[in-house]
Amino acid sequence: MKRKTIGIILGLSLVFFSSFSFGQDLLIKNSTILTVTKGIIPKGDILIIKGIIKQIGENIKAPKGVKIIDASGKYVIPGIIDSHTHIALTGTNESAEAITAEVKMRDVLNAEDHSIYTAITGGVTMVHTMHGSGNPIGGENVVIKTKWGKTSEEMIVHSAYRTLKFALGENPKRSNSPTVGTPRYPQSRMGVNAIIRREFLKAKNYMEQWDRYLKAKKSKKTTKNLILPRKDLRMEQLADMLRGKMVARCHSYRADETLEFINLSKEFGFKIACFEHASEAFKIARELAEEKIGISVFLDNWAYKVEASEGIAYSAAYCTKKGVLVSINSDSNERIRRLFNDAAKAMKYGGLSEEEALKLITINPAIQLGVDKIVGSLEVGKHGDIAIFNEHPLSAYTLCEKTIIEGEVYFDRAQYLKEREEMEKKKKEEAKKKEKKGGTR
Amino acid sequence: MTKRTFVFAIILISCVSFCLTQEKSPGVIAIKGANIIPVVGEDITEGTILVKDGLIVAVGKNIAIPAGAKIIDAKGLFAYPGMIDGSCYLGLQEIGSIRATVDYRETGRFNPQAKTVEALRPDSMHIPISRSNGITAALVAPSGGLISGHSGLIRLVGWTPEEMIIKSSVAMHIQFPRLPRLRRRREAQPREQASKQITELKDILKQARYYQKRKDAAKKNLGLHLPEFNEKLEFLIPVVNGKLPVMISVHAENDIKAAIKFVKDEKLKAIFYGVTEGWKIAKDIKKSGIPVIFGSLNSVPPKWEDGYDAFYRNPGVLAKAGVKFAFSSGSASLAKDLPYHAAKAAAFGLDKKEALKGVTIYPAQILGVDKMMGSLEKGKIANIVLADGDILELRTNIKHVFIDGKDVGTSSIYTELLEKFKKR
Amino acid sequence: MKIKKNRLLICLFVAIFFFTATSSARVTPTYAIVNCKIIPVIGSHIEKGIIIIRDGLIESLGPQGKISIPEDAEIIKADGLFAYPGLIDAHTNLFLELPKEEPRRPGAARTTATDPRQKEKAQNPDLMAAKLLKPKKAAVSNLHKIGITTVLAAPERGIYAGQSVLLNVNGEKAEPMVIKSPVALHVNFVTGRGTYPSSLMGTMAFLRQSFLDTAHYFSHKSQFTKSSRGLKRPEYNPFLEALTPYVVKKSPVFFNCANLEDIKRALGLIKEFKLNGFLTGANEAWRVADLLIKNAKVPLLVSLNFKPPSTSIYVNQGEELKKKAEEEIYPANAANLNKKRLTFALTSLGLKKSSDIPKNVQKAIKAGLPKQEALKAMTIIPAKFLGVSNFLGSLEPGKIANVILTSGEIFGEKTNVERVFVDGISFEIKKPPKGAKPTTVNIAGKWSLKVSGPMGEIESTMELEQDGNQISGSISSSMGRWEIRDGILSGNELALSISATMMGQTMDLSFSGTTEKDSIEGTITFMEWSMELTATRIPDGEF
Repeated sequence: MKRKTIGIILGLSLVFFSSFSFGQDLLIKNSTILTVTKGIIPKGDILIIKGIIKQIGENIKAPKGVKIIDASGKYVIPGIIDSHTHIALTGTNESAEAITAEVKMRDVLNAEDHSIYTAITGGVTMVHTMHGSGNPIGGENVVIKTKWGKTSEEMIVHSAYRTLKFALGENPKRSNSPTVGTPRYPQSRMGVNAIIRREFLKAKNYMEQWDRYLKAKKSKKTTKNLILPRKDLRMEQLADMLRGKMVARCHSYRADETLEFINLSKEFGFKIACFEHASEAFKIARELAEEKIGISVFLDNWAYKVEASEGIAYSAAYCTKKGVLVSINSDSNERIRRLFNDAAKAMKYGGLSEEEALKLITINPAIQLGVDKIVGSLEVGKHGDIAIFNEHPLSAYTLCEKTIIEGEVYFDRAQYLKEREEMEKKKKEEAKKKEKKGGTR
Repeated sequence: MTKRTFVFAIILISCVSFCLTQEKSPGVIAIKGANIIPVVGEDITEGTILVKDGLIVAVGKNIAIPAGAKIIDAKGLFAYPGMIDGSCYLGLQEIGSIRATVDYRETGRFNPQAKTVEALRPDSMHIPISRSNGITAALVAPSGGLISGHSGLIRLVGWTPEEMIIKSSVAMHIQFPRLPRLRRRREAQPREQASKQITELKDILKQARYYQKRKDAAKKNLGLHLPEFNEKLEFLIPVVNGKLPVMISVHAENDIKAAIKFVKDEKLKAIFYGVTEGWKIAKDIKKSGIPVIFGSLNSVPPKWEDGYDAFYRNPGVLAKAGVKFAFSSGSASLAKDLPYHAAKAAAFGLDKKEALKGVTIYPAQILGVDKMMGSLEKGKIANIVLADGDILELRTNIKHVFIDGKDVGTSSIYTELLEKFKKR
Repeated sequence: MKIKKNRLLICLFVAIFFFTATSSARVTPTYAIVNCKIIPVIGSHIEKGIIIIRDGLIESLGPQGKISIPEDAEIIKADGLFAYPGLIDAHTNLFLELPKEEPRRPGAARTTATDPRQKEKAQNPDLMAAKLLKPKKAAVSNLHKIGITTVLAAPERGIYAGQSVLLNVNGEKAEPMVIKSPVALHVNFVTGRGTYPSSLMGTMAFLRQSFLDTAHYFSHKSQFTKSSRGLKRPEYNPFLEALTPYVVKKSPVFFNCANLEDIKRALGLIKEFKLNGFLTGANEAWRVADLLIKNAKVPLLVSLNFKPPSTSIYVNQGEELKKKAEEEIYPANAANLNKKRLTFALTSLGLKKSSDIPKNVQKAIKAGLPKQEALKAMTIIPAKFLGVSNFLGSLEPGKIANVILTSGEIFGEKTNVERVFVDGISFEIKKPPKGAKPTTVNIAGKWSLKVSGPMGEIESTMELEQDGNQISGSISSSMGRWEIRDGILSGNELALSISATMMGQTMDLSFSGTTEKDSIEGTITFMEWSMELTATRIPDGEF
């Protein structure tokens, strides 16, 4: 036990230490600041020191040596958080078995995935990258910041909740894939529910085996017959769910399967952080608000399969008005770069205000992921994760000009345009040279 | 019969006939006080649009409103022409993964006999959703194979296919290879070249020409043997005659060049669809005079060197080069997003006014219906949208949609389900 | 036909009998290599020195004049030659004939839910490379040609690929080559075939679980051994048995790292389970140099395969960058590691042809790796890593006589290996005859052969590979597969040496003749027997 505590202290100090070699200094001047939680500053400045927002206000003077970005006429929002993606991973789903709680997406991070770049061109600074939805119980997900160019370890956000992927409905029962050989159990919603229950019952039994062993070992009675139980990584994960160390993020579409999963969580006492997609959430907005379980949805991507055929675009706004914590996600390496467009649609489909719409892609996903103390809004003390737009971010005519994480500029459209110009120049020169040589292809 | 009953009957009959005449010919409608963006011509602040029998009879600032006209107060609203989707699957697909609901794609390589309007489902849940976002007409197009079939132009309202069809055969659709998709962890797939497609097409068009000539000759001369009926060739005759344009879905730079040459050699009337690498040879496309309909702009460009915004930049570059263009949604479930493709192109360099034209007058021109629709002008069909802002903007709410002068409402499965569960 | 064939066989068999009757068991003579420049790797260079080899060991070495030449020594004049320790290729997949892969059963993965041991059964950590050795004469001589005298041959398929063997390449028979077996357990970050795990994250979980299970298995077994009364007996598990020496007894485990994330994964596992881990492959190692410095205790074996992994950012940003990666950036791996003062061995893992090895070493040197470091990375460093530096890896008295004599400095572009000693056995390297005319004829490909002699006609097929003037390949017939050991194409004159194996005995046949693009004609001779041979090319696609 002592070794464990020392280890924890060492580990924590390492984390602290690494967080001190943290971020850069930056001053963003003269922009319209949409803080999301503390109102709008029509023309203001944000000062970031060592990656943390130190000051937000008007006419801030830059300390010596701090890089300045003149954002006159631009709009500044907190970096967008996509709470459901599969980017930056080598592999998405462990399909060989239906229950794979032991796999961890942290083991297969790929910092060289171009989708990370695509994300930052759309103002996204943090993503919850997840196991696929092919299994009733998938693996452990991971939250990363989209620090394009850095190593995978530097991207991991250690303070986020530990989350385990669950999936209900058509995907885990494989009804949309052709059956090859013997079909994998489960093939119906009955089976999906039953297998999740089975695994939690197994986990309880596993925990009991270990408890009994430890008790027997301590007791004065003879321990000759005592065999050390086998440590099972899959059961350990589910045990962590039951111990409250990990929360469920559950992919579900239909209202009924969503309610059944809530029942399961009550049966076993584990916590649900969020339902993913939840196309029919508007049908059970009351229950979701009462249980204080959030949803992470598409605004209007629907009708691609039967369980999504009643996924109305009003759902996100309606649920928000009913007191459900709603975030919008992309679940796509293409849609990830226009989450701000999706947020704007929540004003049209359901009448959310500008601030409520922006919350769907900033503070709300942050709360769902357990990182709202460090990101999700522009407040002093939070990380300097920022997206700068040339028009209001909820306008269809806007584009993202800069994406900043912890005070460091990771995406700069002006830089990109310059590089393109140079590339075009080079191409023209080379074409001219070839022509001079005789024009042979 | 007593006098009272007689009078009562007369009143009843005249009321009924009055109502009936209202159904048949809505009479005169005056949309008053709107900020009119006619697309062709100058914008009019606080103007009036006069509609009679489904047609626009007047658009202006101070229009005299005849007595008995139904007045719609559009103060504070903006009036636009109804938008036209350059290519979509409305009425041809309900749920993407359920093949039983998908009817825009036939099997086999050559299907010139297939007509999308003959597979139309007027009751599709996607149509009211698109319509309630201001889209009033759409080209419903086939896909698959090399020659996919005929596209048709429909109005987004009607109980039966007949009631929806504006033009049952607009173009013959041809599919050149797509760009390879960006695959995670795998290097780009080697690309199919369009040369194979062109050889096949040239061959079958040649056969169609001979087939027609033979038929004509046989008609004039009983002694000549009449060629046996060949479905594929029969339905290609209007194409080789130049009567039916071809819409070629083409993307890669070299394929576009080859397609331009193909169209010229075969003397076809053509429209290009997709054209995602068009920005690389904008001048050539302009020179060819072939108009372009863009597909959905929402894909990640597969080639890193083209830049992350290549598909978004594309329309702006082609428009600047003088190419005639229009936008499309390329979808059924996301057909309502037509205006947002135009807006995205405007964000990345396309002039905003041109963007609006790209969903109104330009598709009308390209599809040959610009005398009927595409702008708010006298004599055109009263396809009018009243909105509380710019219809290309995401946050705008559409208040009224008129098709052929009739208010078609803004309800859809979205609103119906919402209302149903609001009652919980 | 059959009768005639049998007659030919009988004739050859008789010939073999006489041939083998005269040869006797091998005796390793004593050698004195005189007048060469000695680079012992440990210790300083000797400008003009002598090396005495006796009974397979280096008896002594030193400057001319200081070393006396024994009476029974055969003197090898090495004027102008350089003597180096035989090179060690510390990770290769050569020489092994792997069991045929089972065809993938569709849907096999779906049935794993019923059998929890299915995942283990799909792995073969107990596959011993030593039992799969099938050394080929051509492969052996190719290694000698490039100065390699010691190889670690490892199985390569699957997550747990099997256990490797360390070989001294001293001839053509398998067993005399074996120095040590097993050497290490080999692990690849790949997925199972048609079974769990079917994803990389599944593989990581599977590796962790199998390490845990091995420790648990061992503890149960030990407990049972100590006192079995009242204790449930442990169930036999061959998979965990195979893993026990590596997880519990800390025998070496090689982790094949295809990209930089694999290196991180391997180091994580090594740390978590306190394994005696080795990193191999690692052709992107320079990109995580700082992490490797922190983990300097973990031996690093870096492959000379410069093909960037498909995950690499250098591969996905345009053709220009991709080319640069293959030709400049990845070849500089070793040079960059050296700049950071990291110790590493060089291996041929992933290379298909042994002739690529010196080519790629030269590329690495051009990219900035000092020649001395390259030499160390293929001699003393791998010897230390593999725990055999007591008797291999340098030219020191008492060590095994693995010596190579080269015409110039090692790894030089024009340098040839002239002679090689392995376990004190001398192998002279045959050179292409001087004056071999350049040839424009390309005879690589498949050929249909007709051999007609006094016994009648024999039909067979021949597959040829061509590298400039050098010809290699094989002949396949009803009597088996015969290696073409040596072949020279000079102009259109073709000379081949064929290793014919019949009934367990090997004989050398030679062929000389002329070739055109699609036909070959000539004579095969063996002793006094000669047969006419004609060959016609089989066009591609026909079998």
